[in-house]
Amino acid sequence: MFRFFRTVSAAALLTGLSATASLADELTAWRLFISDHGEPVVHVLDALNGNELATFNTKAPAGLYRSDSGKTVFAVQRDGNIVQAISSGISASDHGDHGDLKVEDAKLLDTAIAGTKPVHFVDHGGNVALFFDGEGIARIVSEGDTLAGSPSIREVKTAAPHHGVAIAFGDHVLLTEPNKAKPEELLVGIRVVDAEGARVSDLHSCPDLHGEAASGNLVAIACAKGLLIAQAGEKEPSIEFLPYSDKLPEGKVTMLLGGKGLQYFLGNYGPSAVVLIDPTADDAFRRIELPTRRVHFAVDPVRPKFAYVFTEDGKLHRLDVVSGEIVKSLALTEPYSMDGHWSDPRPRVAVAGDAIFVTDPLKSTLHVIDAASFEKNRDIAIEGKPFNIVAVGGSGETH
Amino acid sequence: MLKSLRLAALVSVITLTPFGFAGAFAGPLKVVASFSIIEDFAKNVGGDRIEVTTLVGPDGDAHVYEPKPADAMAMNKADVVLVNGLHFEGFLQRLVEASATKASIVELTKGVEPIKMKEEFAEGEAEGGHADHHHGDIDPHAFQSIANAKIYVKNIADAFCAADKDGCDTYKANAEAYTQKLTETDKDVKATIASIPEDKRIIITSHDAFGYFEHEYGLAFLAPEGISTEAEASAADVAALIKQVKEDKASAVFVENITNARLIEQIASETGLKVGGTLYSDALSPADGPASTYIDMMHHNVATIKGAIVGS
Repeated sequence: MFRFFRTVSAAALLTGLSATASLADELTAWRLFISDHGEPVVHVLDALNGNELATFNTKAPAGLYRSDSGKTVFAVQRDGNIVQAISSGISASDHGDHGDLKVEDAKLLDTAIAGTKPVHFVDHGGNVALFFDGEGIARIVSEGDTLAGSPSIREVKTAAPHHGVAIAFGDHVLLTEPNKAKPEELLVGIRVVDAEGARVSDLHSCPDLHGEAASGNLVAIACAKGLLIAQAGEKEPSIEFLPYSDKLPEGKVTMLLGGKGLQYFLGNYGPSAVVLIDPTADDAFRRIELPTRRVHFAVDPVRPKFAYVFTEDGKLHRLDVVSGEIVKSLALTEPYSMDGHWSDPRPRVAVAGDAIFVTDPLKSTLHVIDAASFEKNRDIAIEGKPFNIVAVGGSGETH
Repeated sequence: MLKSLRLAALVSVITLTPFGFAGAFAGPLKVVASFSIIEDFAKNVGGDRIEVTTLVGPDGDAHVYEPKPADAMAMNKADVVLVNGLHFEGFLQRLVEASATKASIVELTKGVEPIKMKEEFAEGEAEGGHADHHHGDIDPHAFQSIANAKIYVKNIADAFCAADKDGCDTYKANAEAYTQKLTETDKDVKATIASIPEDKRIIITSHDAFGYFEHEYGLAFLAPEGISTEAEASAADVAALIKQVKEDKASAVFVENITNARLIEQIASETGLKVGGTLYSDALSPADGPASTYIDMMHHNVATIKGAIVGS
C-alpha cells in the first residue's frame, strides 16, 4: 500500500490526503557499512540512530560495494587477495502495489572468492563480476547463490594480467582487452564472450578505458573519446559508441556513476568538473564546473533529482540533475587536498533514506546531513579512519 | 480483493481533484503524454491548441521505461500530464517527484471499470507464499477496449477544459467527433470478431495486455508473461502454457510490438502453431507503420487475428 501512496504522493499531498492511516505495519530501515583505511574491519551502523550494530573482521582493509538489490555488501580486499561477502540483513521485494521489507542481523558470510589483486566489482542483474587484476581473470558469482552459501564461480580469462573490468550480461560477459604491448597501461577496448567464453564480437575500441556504470537498462563504459553504451540485444549485448560532444573542452571521463530512478550517468571530466550524460538526448553531455577539485560523488537513490559532489575545499554540493546546476553547497570539513597519494584518506559520500552521510577520516567522524533541508544535523564519532561507506535500506510492509 | 477495490476508489478520489490549472491561457497548452496511445488521443482532442511531449514513444514499453532528466524537464514545464494510471507507468511517481511539476496529473482510467489480472497468475503468486494479500492485481491495459477509450477521451477533454477554458468548446467538439469515429471502429471490430468461428477464438500473445479486449469482444488470450513485461516468464510458465495450448486447441500465436519475439517463436515451434503476425499492445507503431494511430491499431490487430485464424 505504501508504494501506491508514493505513486500518487504529489496529488495526495496537495489534496490533503494522508498515508499514515494505512502505514501501521510499515518499516523503514537503513544501514551503513564502513571500512577503514588501515584496519581490516567493517563497521555496521544503524543509519537512523547512529548505533553500531556489528563489526566484522576482514582479512585485509577493504573497498566496499553493495549489490543492486542491497542484500549483499562485498568487501573487496586488493591486498588480501580475497573478496568476502556480507549479508546486509535488509531485503526488499516489490509486489506491484507495495513493497515488503525484511530486516535481520547483518552477517559476514563464509563465502569468499579468492584470487590475486581483486579491484573492480560490477553487479548486473544479480550477477556479480569481480575482476582480479593480478591474474587478468573475472570471477562471476550469482548474488542469490552467494547469500545461500553455495556460489558456483564462473571464471572468464583475458590475455594478460591488467587493471580490468568485467560486466555480466546474462550468459554473456563484457570483458576488457588489455594493451598487449604495455599491459600496465590503460586498456584498448571491450570484447563480448558467450557462456563458453568464446568471443562473439570484434573488439569494441575504447582506448584508455576506465570507469563503468549501469543506469536502468544501459551500461556505460568510459573511453578516451567517448562512451561505449551497452544494452541487451536480441541475441547478445549491443554496444554503441557515443562520442564526447564537440562542446566539451579537451578531457575524458574516468569515473562513472549511474542514476537511480532517472536514467542518466554522472562522470568526472577533468579534476574540477563533472558531466551529466543522457545517451538518448540530442545534447547528451552537460558539463558542470566545480568550484575546486572533486574528491567524491554519489547519486541519490531516494530523490532521483539529486546527486552530490564533495570538493577538496571541504564542501558538499547538491547537483540538480534535471536542471544541470549546483543548487546548494554546504561547508562540512577542513580542506582535503587532491594532491598527494590517490589513496590518502579523503571524504566519501553515501545516501541512506532521509540523510546524506559524509565521512571525515582525519576527524574519525561521520557528518549527517538532512537530505530535505540540506543542512547538517549531527555528527557521529567512528573508530579509526573511515574509508569506503555504502548504505542499504528502504521502506516497506512487514507481514 | 477488498484492498484492490479500495485502491481503485482512492485513485478516483485523487484524480477528481484538479489543481495547478492556471486560469489564464497563453500559447499552446503544454501536454505531456505518458505513452503513444495517449498522445494520439490527446492530439485528436487538443488539435492545434496543444503541444504534446510523449515520454514512451512508438514501439516503446512503458512497463520497463526508465525516465530521463529531459522527461522531468518536460513534465516541469507541462500544464497537463496525461497518464494511464492503474500502475501502468511504474516510473510515474519518481518522475513526478524529480520534476517538481505543478501540472495536474490526470489518470485517464478514472471512470473505467477495472478488471483483475488473470487468475492463473494470481494463483501462481499465492503459491509463492503471498496468499494472504494481493499484489497490484488490476489489469492496467484498459485502452484495449474501445468503450474505455471513449472514457479516456472524455477525461482528456475535461482536463483540457479545466486548463484552458477558452478552448473548451473546441475540445468538446473534437472529442465528440473522435468518439464518433471510435464508435464506428468498435462496430468494425465486433463485426470482424463475429466472422471468426467461436471455437477458434483462443489465441496466444507475449504478455497479458488484452484482458479488456477479451472482456469486451469475446476472444480468449493466453500469455506467458502476466500483465507486466518486467518479470520474465519462467520455464514452468511456458511449459504450462504449451500444455494448455494443446488442450485448448489455440488457433494462432502472435508477437507483440513491445516484446522480444523469442518466447513466442519457441511456443510456436513447440505447439506447431504458426506466428500469425504482430499485434500492437501497449504502444503504437511509428508513423510509417500499420498502427500509427489508435484506430489503425485496433483495425490492424483484429484484421491480423482474423487473417491468422481464417485467412484474410
